[in-house]
Amino acid sequence: MRRFSKIAALAAAGTLVLAGCGGGSGGSGGSGGSGGDSGDSQSAEDVCQSQADGDGPSIGVAYDVGGRGDRSFNDSAYEGLKRAVEELGATCIEAVAGQDENDNVRAERLRTLAEGDYDLVIAVGFLYSPAAAEVAPEYAETKFAVIDGFSQFLVEEPLDNLADLTFAEEQGSYLVGMAAALKTESDHIGYVGGVTSPLIKKFEAGYEAGARSVTPDIQIDVAYLTEDQDDSETAFANPPGGRNAAAPMYEDGADVVYHAAGSSGSGVFEAAAAAGDNMWAIGVDSDQYLTAPEDQQPHILTSMLKRIDTAVFEVTESVADDSFESGGVVYDISVDGVGYSTSGGFVDDIEDQLEEAKQQIADGEIEVPTEPQG
Amino acid sequence: MSVVRRGALALASPVLALLLAGLIITVVLAVIGDDIAGFWSVMSSVPEPRNAVAMLNQASVLYLSGVAAAIGFRMNLFNIGVEGQYRLAAFAAGAVAGAAWLPGYLNSLLAVVVAMAVGAAWAGLAGALRAYRGVSEVISTIMLNSIAGFLISYLIVKVGRTTGNATGTDPMPEGSRIGTIAIFPDSPTELYGLSLLAIVVGVLFWLVLNRTRFGFELRATGASDSAAVASGVDSRRMIVTTMLLSGAVAGLVGLPVIFSSAYNYGSSFQAGLGFAGIAVALLGRNHPVGIAFAALLFAYLSQQANLLNILAGISPDIVAVAQGVVVMSVVIVYEVVRRYRVRAEQTQVASTLSAESRAAAPTEGAAS
Amino acid sequence: MSSQVDTTPAAAAGTPAIELRGIGKRFPGVIANHDVDMTIRAGSIHAVVGENGAGKSTLMKILYGVQPPDDGTIAVNGETVTLSTTGDAIARGIGMVFQHFMLADNLSVLENVVLGAERLHGIGDAARERIQEISRQYGFDLDPDELVETLGVGERQRVEILKVLYRGASIIILDEPTAVLVPQEVDALFTNLRLLKAEGHTLIFISHKLDEVRAIADEITVVRRGTTVASVRPDEVTSRQLAELMVGSELPSPSTEESTVTDRVLLSVRDLEVLDAAGRPELSGISLDIHAGEVLGIAGVEGNGQTELVEAIIGMRRLSRGSVRLGDEDVTSWSTKRRRESGIGYIPEDRHRHGLLLDSPLWENRILGHQTRPPSVRGGWLSLRGARRDSTRIVEQYDVRTPGIDTTARALSGGNQQKFIVGREMSGDPRLLIASHPTRGVDVGAQAQIWRHIKDARREGLAVLLVSADLDELIGLSDTISVLLRGRLVGRFDPRAVTPQDLGSAMTGADDPTDEEAPA
Repeated sequence: MRRFSKIAALAAAGTLVLAGCGGGSGGSGGSGGSGGDSGDSQSAEDVCQSQADGDGPSIGVAYDVGGRGDRSFNDSAYEGLKRAVEELGATCIEAVAGQDENDNVRAERLRTLAEGDYDLVIAVGFLYSPAAAEVAPEYAETKFAVIDGFSQFLVEEPLDNLADLTFAEEQGSYLVGMAAALKTESDHIGYVGGVTSPLIKKFEAGYEAGARSVTPDIQIDVAYLTEDQDDSETAFANPPGGRNAAAPMYEDGADVVYHAAGSSGSGVFEAAAAAGDNMWAIGVDSDQYLTAPEDQQPHILTSMLKRIDTAVFEVTESVADDSFESGGVVYDISVDGVGYSTSGGFVDDIEDQLEEAKQQIADGEIEVPTEPQG
Repeated sequence: MSVVRRGALALASPVLALLLAGLIITVVLAVIGDDIAGFWSVMSSVPEPRNAVAMLNQASVLYLSGVAAAIGFRMNLFNIGVEGQYRLAAFAAGAVAGAAWLPGYLNSLLAVVVAMAVGAAWAGLAGALRAYRGVSEVISTIMLNSIAGFLISYLIVKVGRTTGNATGTDPMPEGSRIGTIAIFPDSPTELYGLSLLAIVVGVLFWLVLNRTRFGFELRATGASDSAAVASGVDSRRMIVTTMLLSGAVAGLVGLPVIFSSAYNYGSSFQAGLGFAGIAVALLGRNHPVGIAFAALLFAYLSQQANLLNILAGISPDIVAVAQGVVVMSVVIVYEVVRRYRVRAEQTQVASTLSAESRAAAPTEGAAS
Repeated sequence: MSSQVDTTPAAAAGTPAIELRGIGKRFPGVIANHDVDMTIRAGSIHAVVGENGAGKSTLMKILYGVQPPDDGTIAVNGETVTLSTTGDAIARGIGMVFQHFMLADNLSVLENVVLGAERLHGIGDAARERIQEISRQYGFDLDPDELVETLGVGERQRVEILKVLYRGASIIILDEPTAVLVPQEVDALFTNLRLLKAEGHTLIFISHKLDEVRAIADEITVVRRGTTVASVRPDEVTSRQLAELMVGSELPSPSTEESTVTDRVLLSVRDLEVLDAAGRPELSGISLDIHAGEVLGIAGVEGNGQTELVEAIIGMRRLSRGSVRLGDEDVTSWSTKRRRESGIGYIPEDRHRHGLLLDSPLWENRILGHQTRPPSVRGGWLSLRGARRDSTRIVEQYDVRTPGIDTTARALSGGNQQKFIVGREMSGDPRLLIASHPTRGVDVGAQAQIWRHIKDARREGLAVLLVSADLDELIGLSDTISVLLRGRLVGRFDPRAVTPQDLGSAMTGADDPTDEEAPA
């Protein structure tokens, strides 16, 4: 019994400590970033502390697990926050989620942020939705915005201080799907998703539709890193898994692979670099060409941009000029909420076609599906 | 050993352990360069009523998880599978409650029974593998945890619905939801009705463990497997029964949240409670009352993580570190105190006996 | 360990090989040794005798550097030394052969010997030569390349002695070397020991078997209750006198009174077979009957199936063939619990592993093995009051020396633990008592009491199965003695007519026991 309890203690303590070091949570997936490396200088500076004297709106930001410095989802939100502070004179306070939380703890975080008569509380990640739906009615003077949220479906009556900021990921994916189909020489491309959640399926759906719009019978290999929606570790913090999923695609003849797998995506880039010249990978969320190591840059065709920074900035602006829009706010291609990057210049030759499709989507001439057609 | 002395020793262990843990955490904070004064001022602040309620809710859930783990631990079965058992059971309960085959509270009752049955079955698998095929329950429960995750993901697509970016089971009808209990009039959060399950389970656990034959056999098996077998305990049946019980209690872990707050099983359902339960059980020395204190402590630490983060600017991960440190300190201090107590008792037996009579037949020297 | 100690006799100047003065050692709760004085002449065989638990083993561990003494001085070859590790002792030329062999079965003799002493002669031919040389010199007859698992007990013991010699020991401590040997092997060992003595080695021989001690020793030191009480020469004392020195009071003897054997068969075992995990028989063709009022003794060298036999009867091992009947009922398919409920009391050979919950209080230990029966359990519920009251009764009736029933079993001495077990197993009206090595490791006082309780049980009409390694105990208590050899019952003896020599022959299969009664 005694020896047993000692072993058990070690195991338990190990579990807890490891949990503390864990990666992103709850399938706030499609969050980009090239993973791996320790946080950059951003995490050291803090715009909320250095510029606390603005006269703009006061904002509380609740980050997802990992917080600032994750080169991904949270950092993207921070970029928008920084812009809001600089351009709108906003003041802010921040909080970050821990591993394996429940709705209670999340709600409590939003409450604590709302307490000091804050004008706006921004919750980063769809897992905040139930918490925001619970807390918003308690603080009528404060606006709540949930990135990727679905809180509007959880309240009985629409609240005029609660907004879900979602993105038309499928539209951006459509464009990079086109780019893949235009660039491939083997008519064979691939897709690596983090987890089979509705959110990540949207990426696949748009990518597939975009590719087939160019080459209807194009071969698309699809792989997901896990099907367990609670296992964000395997899905979004798993570069070896990304590499293992992408490498066979390249071996089987695919020459472009798109990923929507958070920092697992860096494994996809490694696989592309290892596969040799003219093998491409497509990044996600932010312009991953800018953060990738030099040897991988020549392989990053483009990135699907998901402008969380824009959403954060614009929602702050709407609070500042009293035009806050409650309910579901979709950042689609028409407002540049999603798009594609051109760093590296690899898509310059097809930019005309992409721009044309972009316009057609914006005009509603092309309707992009949100579920894979198979 | 006198009652007073026994009591003093029993009390000394947790106090010493907490002091040691506090010291280690302070050192960790100092090394990292975090705000030590801020940490302690947040940690020692009196929680708001709504925090206190949230703490109780969290503690009740952790308590159930801790008891589920402790049932196995008491007989040296390392059921790591509480994690998978409670998630699968919570999913099953959410699916059954959402399907609403029965009206009102009958539906809730059915869901609770299903949850316990699913938890028990999932643990029972590992128990049966251990008893009849000699498969280590550590390995099998870890694997079953993983399988549970996949199974839920697979099934939730079949029976669940997608809302925005989240998937979940259908919400249960109003009539099957279980109300909350207002403890403080002005608190927006209230105690989950099914949190009271923790008290019921705790009392039953104590009663079964200390007052029944089954409990005795379970403890005997944990203290000495070989002695229990020689005394007539059927160790295979004990393993299976214990795992079934452990799993059934694990099945309850997710229910307070599902019936009083979320009303379905979905993406924002809390994972990791099973692993936390292992730590809680260890911290509570697998004792019904000890686990209660451990659950409260863990819940308190988790609650304070938000404030720590917002008010003192310390990463909430330090709380996970603190929880780990507390568990380690407890194990170390209890072992030290236990050794001291064994020595003290042997000395006392020897001195009592030699004082009793020098004339009687020789007392024994040490054999070796 | 860089230099080899000179093995020539140090006796020249008459300096004692070892001189102990005022050695004391305390453990929590017990004084293991106090005021030990002992002088061991160089080049002699010096026996240290004493009952189990008298403190011999602790004393030898002090001498071998396993535990430092709390008081007193040790002088080796006239030089006062501090032995704080076994390394110190080995460097002084002291070696020890433990009672339980420390050999790796899957290694050869050579590998076992050089293990940990590679620096002396390497691990190759030089080492092999040295081993062969020692083996020849002392008549060990060991092949360096043979696997240890193929060796018999006597040969393994010689490997242990060889290990010690290889490391250059001139003073060798042998801890109960004859405990595991049958009489014929004992003779062989003594021949080896005499050769060693002739070569100038000093031998310290620990035992409590007085005849052997008188046969081999030049001098005898008697240890009782932690201290040395006498130093005698073997030709000055009789075994009986020695025993009285050891015990310090009149010697209890296990002699049996009037026969109480009835013709009512209580335990009947037929054609029993037990297989090990690999499917080899550990017991085969075992048939025996025990009548009410009869003690059946099972003799045998340990490891010949005694443990398996007991566990088969109590239901802890599955039979591959055969039947067990208790009274009128066939219990072959019954669980251990049901067998115990129907009246089997069980004193296990290893009380720490099978008889007690060491960290539980005595009253909880009262429940163990009786968890389905009053007074400690009613229905599915424990009766704490019943268990406590009955524990108090056992403590009083069976003279268990303890401050109270809330004391944990671990805090008691071996004898008191065993008395509590005997008391527990005698409660609940058993019909059959299985006593496996009931007096192993208990003090003399407890031994006499346990013997009395077994005799009482017999008088009350219980059937008793007594397994023991102590032939005197078997002869003194049993109505019939059967011998187990390699999983079979090979002989049946009348204890009134049999000698330990006869039993020894049967136990080793050395000769046919047909001049006694035919096997059952």
